[in-house]
This record gives sequence, C-alpha cells and structure tokens, in this order.
Amino acid sequence: MDGDSAHSMEAEREMTRLWRTFRTVYELLADRGYEVSDNELLLPLEDFRAKYADPLGYPDRTKMKIQARPTDTMKMKYTALPSKANPNPQPDCGTIYVDFCPDSSGVGTKQVRAFNHLVDENNFHTGIFITQTPISPSAVRLLSGVPGRICEHFQEQDLLVNITRHELVPKHVLLSPEEKAKLLERYRLKESQLPRIQISDPVARYLGLRRGQVVKIIRKSETAGRYASYRWVI
Amino acid sequence: MAQQGPSHALKTSLPETYAAVNAQQPPPSYLYPTQEEQDRYLEGRPGATQKHLEVALQHAQQIQTQKDAEDVILNRILELIELPSSPTADPAAPSQEDTVKLKYSLAPFRPSDYDNLILERNYEDLCGYALCPRKHRKQDTGPRGGFQFKYGPKGSGPGGRGRSVDIVSQDRIEKWCSDVCAERALWIRVQLSEKPVWERRAGDTRGTTILLLEEARAKRLKAPAATSSVSSIVNDLQSMGLGNRDRSGELALERGDTSLIRPDGRVDVNIRENQRGSQQVAGAPQMRPEDANGGSIEGYVPSERRGPDQDGDIDLLDQI
Repeated sequence: MDGDSAHSMEAEREMTRLWRTFRTVYELLADRGYEVSDNELLLPLEDFRAKYADPLGYPDRTKMKIQARPTDTMKMKYTALPSKANPNPQPDCGTIYVDFCPDSSGVGTKQVRAFNHLVDENNFHTGIFITQTPISPSAVRLLSGVPGRICEHFQEQDLLVNITRHELVPKHVLLSPEEKAKLLERYRLKESQLPRIQISDPVARYLGLRRGQVVKIIRKSETAGRYASYRWVI
Repeated sequence: MAQQGPSHALKTSLPETYAAVNAQQPPPSYLYPTQEEQDRYLEGRPGATQKHLEVALQHAQQIQTQKDAEDVILNRILELIELPSSPTADPAAPSQEDTVKLKYSLAPFRPSDYDNLILERNYEDLCGYALCPRKHRKQDTGPRGGFQFKYGPKGSGPGGRGRSVDIVSQDRIEKWCSDVCAERALWIRVQLSEKPVWERRAGDTRGTTILLLEEARAKRLKAPAATSSVSSIVNDLQSMGLGNRDRSGELALERGDTSLIRPDGRVDVNIRENQRGSQQVAGAPQMRPEDANGGSIEGYVPSERRGPDQDGDIDLLDQI
C-alpha cells in the first residue's frame, strides 16, 4: 500500500509537470500567432488528466499531438514585401505540428528521423519536437537539416514555465516586413546598423524568430513610461 | 547535388579530390553562378566590382564545403549505426566488408564526430565499437549513477604488488560491451585526425589510413624488433642524410631560413667595442651677448623684446 501511494505520487507529479509544459506550448502557439482557442489555453489540470492519462496515472505522451494553423495577422507578418522578382509573395508560414517524444532517455537520430519523416509526410510547415532529455548532437543537426521545413526542439523542462510572462522579460513584438521597411526608412538605417538578438536567445526561440527579422522590444522606463528598442535577429 | 551519390558528395568536400573532380566536369550549379548571373548581380550595385564578388563567392564556397562535409559525416554516422551487417559478427574477427566500410566511412571523422557515433550507438542499445553487434553494458546502480571502482589484474598495482584501482565514471563503462571492445574503439579514436576535413591538405595521411587493433597487433608481431636494434636505428638515421650539406640547405630553405649558413654551422661574429670619447671635458656655459635678454624660445623671439630692435635706436644704447 505504501509503495502504491508513492507510485501514484510520482505519477501525479509527472502529470502536473507535463500539464504545465502542455499549457506553455499552447501559450507559445498563441504568442506566435497561431489559432488557439481559449479552452485550449486555459485547460484545467483535471481535464488534462482525464484526456491524457494512461491507466496507471502516468501521462501518455503519444496522445499529445498538437496542430495549429496560422491566423491572418501571422500570415501578414510572414509575407515578404512584393519585389520585382516576386510581385506576389506568399506567406512563409503554415500549419505547425507539436510532438512529445515518449522516450525517457537516449533520444537520438532514430526518433528525430521518425519525427522528420512525419513532418515531411504530412506536409507541415513547422515542427516542434519536445523531449524529456537533451538530444544528441547529431540529432540536433539532423533536425535542422530538413530542406524547406523548420524543425525546432525544446526540452520539457524549458517550457515548464512561460519565460515571457516573467516580470523582468520585456515584451517582444515581431515586426512585419512592411513595418521593418518603415522603421529603417524613418531612422535612415541599414538593417545591419540595428542592435542584434541571437537566434538562440530564449525569447527568440520561444517566438520562433528567423534570421533577418526585426523585433520591437518594449520596456517600462521610469523616466519615459515606455521605451521601445529594435533588434535584428541573427 | 541531389542526383549525385554520397561518394560524390565526399569528393566535393575533400579539397584534394575536389580539384580532381572539378577538372573532369563542370562545377555543380550551386557552387558557382555563371558569368551572366554575376554580371546581372553587379549591374544593380555600382559600388561592387568583379573582385568583390569573387571574394564573396570564394567565402561562400568555403562555407558550402564545410556544410557538405558535415552532412557527409552525419550520413556516415547514420550508416555506421547499422554496422555490423550480421547480428552474429565477432568484433575480434570482423568481416572484410564491414572493415572496409568502417575504414572508408571514418576517413572524414574527427574524434568528436567519433564520440557522437558512440553516443548514437549507445542510444540504439549497441556497444560503442562499430563492429560489435552486442548490447552495451548496463549497470543498475540507482538513479544517480556516479563512479565505480575498477580493479586491474593481479600484480598490476604499484611496485608489482596487489591490484591497481581505477575510479571510473559510470557512463564511461557503459559505453561498451566489454573492456576489449573499449580498447578496440579507443584505438581507432586516437588514429583520427583533429583537423576538420575541409582544412586537411592533400598529403595528410593521418586519419585516412586507419588500422583496427587486431591488424595493428598482427603487424607488430610480423615485424618484431625491426626498429629496436641499434644498427637499424643507425641505418635509419643515415638514410635521413642529416649530415648531407645540400640537404640541410634544402631543409633550411623549406623552413624559410634565408640567412647564409656557414659550412661549420656558425655565423661569423666580429666583436666591436664601443669606444668612449673620454678626452673632452664638458665646460661650464659661458655668457654670450645675445643671452642678455634671455634669447629666443625655441627660435621664437617674443615681440616685446623684438620691438625695439626694429626701431634701430635703443639697441645701440643697450649695447654700450
């Protein structure tokens, strides 16, 4: 009986942790501009348990697959400015797919290959692979090497709390190509003259920023109320 | 790139073979834009010249070569996970096919890539040695793992008494199926070149000629004491021709030593003592007439002192 209760405690703990990760994923999708309903955003723990628990009370990660479509505002933000060569540009975003890897250790090329295959087969534009442990270096390389698709990787513990909700993290807003052009013209800048933000920056990873985009960072300022700065993603 | 096989991809990533391949066929389209494309690119940019474009293209090509090489290595790792080809293969006597494949595949590897291969094999529940079909060791010692004592054979301790004891971390033991396989795998690792493929020179044989541990042992047994006798060492030294004057000149040239080397191996040194002029004794400064007013300051004469000079009257009075 004693061992049994320890068992269920353990299951409960893992369930709660995964629920928090799961919610952060939905928040992430919403912040990036995908279509996410309020029900999904505010999913209570009980519902999550009812939906995704296996008979032993542990979470069943194979059931936890998320798909989302981009909203119109997101499509607008990801559409390049029309140019001579490309007078009618298409938005560079599409359906996103999130997969939780059920293996508790040793995630290597095998699992990543399966994930890549899945993303490719279903013609998803972006894939997010979430694992419990770090993945091997070759797996990282394999994940980023899918031509024409964007595959990202997070660890469950990275998404346990939503870092952008922390009071010390300023608001990051992605600029559309049009806004970026206006900004550069107003300040008479080249984009290379802007301050920069790394693509591996935690917030940049959270927002799925791509090289060459510009984010507006809005901070609170004691003297000026609000203070905006702009950073170029490299 | 897509229609070319993996063997061809290797060729484009190795500098030495790259040149040879390039000589036979036109370079792949992604490597170099045509003259027409280059001209069109330059048209819209008045500040850029053909030379700028060439430099940029060269750098781009270097980066592309690196990427290709890394892709090749990744593919090789994926292939080597599948080895050995039969589940009953004996790591001590691997099949000829597998051996050739392993040696061929490992050529562009660095030790860090090899470590990745071992890691991947372990994730697949295999021994880290690529020619071993067994599972790797797994010791259940609780959630944290940690360190273990490892005892050597009898008489391996300090001074030939007792047993040597090593403290080894768990994951280092768990990489392999046995100590023998660990030795085999690490023997290969030390033969790999630290230099990335794209920086290797054509004559660099390190890393391309890999011997398995068994082969190296067989070789050593076959040619016993060939290098150990004194006479053979003397012979070797003589054949190097260190005393040969022409050759040492060549060597110096190769080193970039341009100074004249004398036959006796020394430079001509002339010692010259610095002579001191001790005869003249400096005298005390003497008053000169122009010093009466303090003279000039670094060639500049203040105007108030110069003013009366121009009149021509008062300086006579002064001098009298």
